[in-house]
Amino acid sequence: MSHAIEVRHLCHRYNGRSVYEDLNFAVPSGSVCGLLGKNGQGKTTLVNILMGFLEPASGRCLVLGEDSHALSPAVRSRVGLLHEGHLAYEFMTIAQTERFYSRFYPGWQPDLFYGLVEKMGLAAHHKVGHMSCGQRSQVVLGVIMAQDPDLLILDDYSMGLDAGYRRLFLDVLHDFASRANKTIFVTSHIVQDLEQLVDTILFIDRGTITRMGLQEFLAAFRKYVFHCDHLPELARDEIVYGFERRGRQVSVYSYSDLPVVKQHLAGLGVDAGDLCQAPMSLEDGFIGLMGKY
Amino acid sequence: MWRSIMLKEWLKLRWAFSAALVLNAAFCLQILLDLRQQLAAEHAEMVWYQMIHLHTLAQHGMRYAPLLTGIALAAAQFVPELLGRRMRLSLHLPVSRNRMLLYSLLAGLLLLVSVIALIALLSAATMRYFFPVEAVWAVQRSMLPWFLAGLLAYLGGATVLLEPAWTRRAILVVVFGVLIRVLLGGRGYDWFTAFWPWLLLPAPLALTGVFESARRFQRGGI
Repeated sequence: MSHAIEVRHLCHRYNGRSVYEDLNFAVPSGSVCGLLGKNGQGKTTLVNILMGFLEPASGRCLVLGEDSHALSPAVRSRVGLLHEGHLAYEFMTIAQTERFYSRFYPGWQPDLFYGLVEKMGLAAHHKVGHMSCGQRSQVVLGVIMAQDPDLLILDDYSMGLDAGYRRLFLDVLHDFASRANKTIFVTSHIVQDLEQLVDTILFIDRGTITRMGLQEFLAAFRKYVFHCDHLPELARDEIVYGFERRGRQVSVYSYSDLPVVKQHLAGLGVDAGDLCQAPMSLEDGFIGLMGKY
Repeated sequence: MWRSIMLKEWLKLRWAFSAALVLNAAFCLQILLDLRQQLAAEHAEMVWYQMIHLHTLAQHGMRYAPLLTGIALAAAQFVPELLGRRMRLSLHLPVSRNRMLLYSLLAGLLLLVSVIALIALLSAATMRYFFPVEAVWAVQRSMLPWFLAGLLAYLGGATVLLEPAWTRRAILVVVFGVLIRVLLGGRGYDWFTAFWPWLLLPAPLALTGVFESARRFQRGGI
């Protein structure tokens, strides 16, 4: 199986502080991979390394077979980047943006660009800097899609977007992912969006990374709920990964079966008489696994 | 591809360039009017004595104009690239970093040289209107260090702006500041003409400085 992204023994330090030590993972070609982690865990640093804007302290980071910090122009033409905040040339108009990028990409598809941009009903001479965040995101998406890349790296595409624009983004990404051998590597603060898009998740936490299939994670990791009046101080252990309390209802997250969790809670002095499994979204699972802060 | 880069740079530079053209033309016009006024108010011999024997350049008052033009063009071109680290968009284009940067700098230098050429042309025309051709060339030679200061200010501005580390930025500001100070320090005619070959040396060094800053920008300051 070929890999669009391969990270081997990656180490990185920032201001003398270790961000990663010996990070390893791969993103197979044709997959849609979501990177999840709390703030400050190094998601943006990893994306910057993948995008070639940071050189790791050691280890290798390959994007379409080349070192990410030394990508050849030929490989760069196959990688579509979406920077946090939908970075665009704000001094250009829509038409100037199209004209600017079209000369760099032999397979440039103007119909795709204008197809996405025209949904906003803006004139071609409308300046990007005068657009709302949502409108600008469409221009950026149009630029990336018209390049017809093989790999998309999206850094928090949902930032600043309302539900409508997020859906529009997801629709386009779904269409892109359905085409042969197209790979997406995405981070987002809106975890429930990723549930509709990704097939693989990378959890990044305190410098380590865990790679799981989405369905595999949702089947293996479970949410249990029970009600109680007095909950003793609980800490994460090998059975129970996370707790959440809202009023009398307590949610517990675990990879273990119901009887094991029940017995474990009893051992901790918790009266969880009505413990039962509850439906769990990816966001629930993310909070259960990573904690809230 | 080069046309795309030129388009982008022109979109950023056009207002600063237009303003620089108008302001520098206005400066030159003011010098013409001042000279005419001086010749009308004083004896021509007195003006000749001041300008030729006492080495009082009529253009001395605008010696900072190329410098300010260079800084303005560098800022107009590279500040938008730094906001939100927008330069990352250009660095991901399927073209080598050095080639992309070379085209960008060529665009800026072309416009800067156009402004300098305008200053030189208008100054020459003004001097030729009142004085013999020898005085015209003496003024042109004496203005060359100012023009070079403008080029260094542009390249230095680009180098400083693209450099990601503040300490290096501060050092670069001092280095370029000293070089420019030397170029603008003289008075009178031809005070630097004998050293011209040496004066040209910093320009290619400054050009390599821009490429090094861009390389460091891409690698996150390493």
